[in-house]
Order: sequence, then C-alpha cells, then structure tokens
Amino acid sequence: MNETGRALRQALALGAISVLVAAAVHAPLIKRFARGEFRETFFEAAAHPGIRMITLEEGEDLWRTGGAVFIDARKEAEFREGHVPGALSAPAARAEKAMPQALQALARDRALVIYCEGGDCQSSLLLAKRLSQDGFKDIRVYTGGWAGWTAAGLPMEKAEAGMNREKGDGQA
Amino acid sequence: MVRHKVLLLAFRVVLGGLFIYAGVVKVLAPLDFAQNIRNYQIVGPSLSFIAALVLPWLEILAGAFLIVGIWKRGAALVISSLLVFFIVLTVVTMIRGLDIDCGCFGAVDRKAGWSVILEDLAMLYLGLSVLSDRSRELD
Repeated sequence: MNETGRALRQALALGAISVLVAAAVHAPLIKRFARGEFRETFFEAAAHPGIRMITLEEGEDLWRTGGAVFIDARKEAEFREGHVPGALSAPAARAEKAMPQALQALARDRALVIYCEGGDCQSSLLLAKRLSQDGFKDIRVYTGGWAGWTAAGLPMEKAEAGMNREKGDGQA
Repeated sequence: MVRHKVLLLAFRVVLGGLFIYAGVVKVLAPLDFAQNIRNYQIVGPSLSFIAALVLPWLEILAGAFLIVGIWKRGAALVISSLLVFFIVLTVVTMIRGLDIDCGCFGAVDRKAGWSVILEDLAMLYLGLSVLSDRSRELD
C-alpha cells in the first residue's frame, strides 16, 4: 500500500510540474489566449457541417484519384516555391476580402481540400469557413499541411498556379 | 508480469521514448493540438487550450522520468492512466461516430479508431509491467 501511495504522490507531483513548465514555456501564448485571440479560430464542427478534417492518407487518395480540387491557403510566394500539383492558390487573408475567380467558378458541390503550412497554421481553417459561407458543401481541411505533404515525400510542383494568378501577396 | 531486468529496462526506454516523441510534436504545435482536443467534443475551447499546453509536458516529463528511472513508478502510473483515458476516449469517440484525427502523434495523423486502441493497449502492457515491478532500485 505504501508503494501505491508513493507512486500516486509521484504522479501528482509530475502533474504539478507539468502545469508549471507549461505555464512558463507558453506564457506568451496564454496571454494572447486570455486576450481572446484564438477563440474565433477554434473550429466548431457542429457550426460547420460541410467542413471536416482529413488525414494525409485521405488527402493523398483524393489527390491521386482527382476526387477533389486542392486549394493552397498559404501566401502566394510560398505557393510559388512549391505546392501540391494542380492546387489553386488562394491566400486566406486575401480571400477574406475577395474570393479568387478560380474558386468563384467552381461548382458549389465540388469537393475541396484546403491546406496551409502545417503545424499550427490557421489559414486553411479560416479559408474553409469563408468558403463554407460562400456555399461550398464539401470542404476538407488537410491539417498536416504542406509540411506533412513534403515530409511524406509526395509530389510537388513549382512556379505559377495555372488558373489563378493575382498580383500582390496576401498574408496567411 | 515481466520480471526480467533487461526486458523491463527496454520497456521503459521504448514507452518513455514514445511519450517524449508524442509530447514534443505537440509542444511544437499547441494550437493544432488544441483543435484536435476540441474535435473530440468533450471540453470547450478554453479547456481544450489548457489541456493542449499541459498534456504534452506531462507526456514528456513522465517519459523522461521513466527512462532515467527517477520516480519510475509514478511515471509509469501517469503513463498507464493516460493510456487508459486515451483508450476509453477513443472507444467513446467511435461509439459517437465522430470522424476525427486521433491527435496522437501530431502531424503523423490517423483517425481515432481500432489501430489507436490496439497501439494504446500494447503501450499499456509495457506501462503496467513497469508499474508492477517490485524491485526498489532507482525508485
């Protein structure tokens, strides 16, 4: 019993240390959250029935079968350096103001796969919400993003987007 | 349960290593992990955010302590409890029919499903083996 009690105390201590380390390491992030910065970027599945997250496996499958239009939500400069072959460039910040023409022209029931840098990037979700408001009914967000795509050694394409060239550079 | 010293050490290194890895990828992308937690639809945005900051460090610290051998059983208890929680969570998620990423190892993403449960059960076996080890050295 003594042994169990000791293990329990150690476990609780580990929990307490974790809270302290997290608070110290992520202090800037916590301050920003307290100011309400990320709350609106949280994605609520119930509020957006047309949007869902997909894995690399699903993304790759949709890309190989041509089952969806890929949309790159990163900045245009990043897009030019490399993107998923066939993807359209639609920097999220710019799409907030005006929907790129290539997207306007798409049928609203076309399946879309949206991605951004990967990791913590939020622009794919922002763009997904925007497109959902615009009437698109089948939007999939590949959360692994460009980082996940390249890490898996999947094909990439450089230079211009075939269908969607616009001047300037939006902020993702 | 396992008594072999070398085997138990191997269990600690493998399990601790997996937890350190899982924790590190989440520490590097806390907002992404917060979204993963939110997708389970168990807690709201604020709790998802807090859990996304603390849980990865708990995984890293418990993994590191398990490997080094300090508070070995406490670390094994933390890891085993987390695994039991993950298994229950995954089962509940499957029953609710939620089609979401498990969020287990950050960008190495998979759906919350059977493979996650089997993997967690395998890790739980390692964790419980260390937890039930009666030797007192390094503890």
